[in-house]
Amino acid sequence: MWRRLVSSHFKSLTALSPSSHSRSASPALRFAAAAAAAPSSASFINRHVSTQSGGKVKLRVEDVMPIATGHEREEIQADLEGRNILEINHPEGPFGTKEAPAIVKSVYDRRIVGCPGGEGEDEHDVVWFWLEKGKPYECPVCSQCFKLEVVGAGGDPYEHGHH
Amino acid sequence: MIESQRHSYHLVDPSPWPISGSLGALATTVGGVMYMHSFQGGATLLSLGLLFILYTMFVWWRDVLRESTLEGHHTKVVQLGPRYGSIPFIVSEVMFLFAFFRASSHSSLAPTVEIGGIWPPKGIEVLDPREIPFLNTPILLSSGAAVTWAHHAILAGKEKRAVYALVATVSLALVFTGFQGMEYYQAPFTILDSIYGSTFFLATGFHGFHVIIGTLFLIICGIRQYLGHLTKEHHVGFEAAAWYWHFVDVVRLFLFVSIYWWGGI
Repeated sequence: MWRRLVSSHFKSLTALSPSSHSRSASPALRFAAAAAAAPSSASFINRHVSTQSGGKVKLRVEDVMPIATGHEREEIQADLEGRNILEINHPEGPFGTKEAPAIVKSVYDRRIVGCPGGEGEDEHDVVWFWLEKGKPYECPVCSQCFKLEVVGAGGDPYEHGHH
Repeated sequence: MIESQRHSYHLVDPSPWPISGSLGALATTVGGVMYMHSFQGGATLLSLGLLFILYTMFVWWRDVLRESTLEGHHTKVVQLGPRYGSIPFIVSEVMFLFAFFRASSHSSLAPTVEIGGIWPPKGIEVLDPREIPFLNTPILLSSGAAVTWAHHAILAGKEKRAVYALVATVSLALVFTGFQGMEYYQAPFTILDSIYGSTFFLATGFHGFHVIIGTLFLIICGIRQYLGHLTKEHHVGFEAAAWYWHFVDVVRLFLFVSIYWWGGI
């Protein structure tokens, strides 16, 4: 029982570290978006049932946890689809220039972004700023360019506090 | 929805239970002191306070169940909280009981002249460890095995068997408590009988209290399992109960060896 508990969390931890390592190893762009970057367990469920013919049957949330509801259900659903709900908080890409700015996705019309600079020697202390829709921003230290892409409902993040 | 929440955590809604628990604790402590100093109304206040605390526990944890099982707020990261939080809690309980073990060994390893320079003290008729204690220890151990059986059943998705296993666990626990009660009743010495009586009853008494708490926790788990709350992916409450139960079990083993067996020689 103990082993199962421990290994299942090791699984989520090791799944987590490759992704964070790959983030820093990726060519250049190093900018960090600052919403609560949850240490979400990437792919903690790896469920694909193999049929005899070798094909894979896609599982539904009901097959994994029938009574799942709310946020838990969404989490399982996203995991089965192979997508990371919180990937919007970990943008990756090459160093942003004026012609090809670094794209930061956002649910609202503006969000806080932090620029850590370029690769290796070009790193600097994180510079935080508000990135607004329609207003591309240039980092005052390393001149990396950022642009907001609204993927959600838009609006001001502080309007309509949560219910 | 998590999409609108943008994070996997659970920001709890405002709740009256923390303040109600605090008020209950206030009533308990003040009432307790009043009672102990024979003030009028002390006993009433004390019992009201205890009842209020119990009520708070009931409604607070009911809210937790509602938020987790019925509303789905307990995502993977949220589950880590209670899971890894129950470990320090159990450790704190170990520390608490350790104090009583230390008290016992402090007095028994170098018995003072007042008790005859021997342990058990002169005149104390100790319980024979080969009688009820020797029966009760394996009873508790088997209930520990039963709770492991229940866990495996839950993990395997065998919901009915898990209920049976939990019923077995609780039954054994209740038998244990019954026998302990009987033993207390029949004991030839009381808590007032020298340091031996004090340490014996405090150590075994608090252990028994923890057994009762653990039994209650397991009963709740049994009810939840019956209602279908626990799934093989997600049963943090059950795991916490099982860990607590194993801790109770281990303490019993230490108790048996150090207080019943060694302490009686």
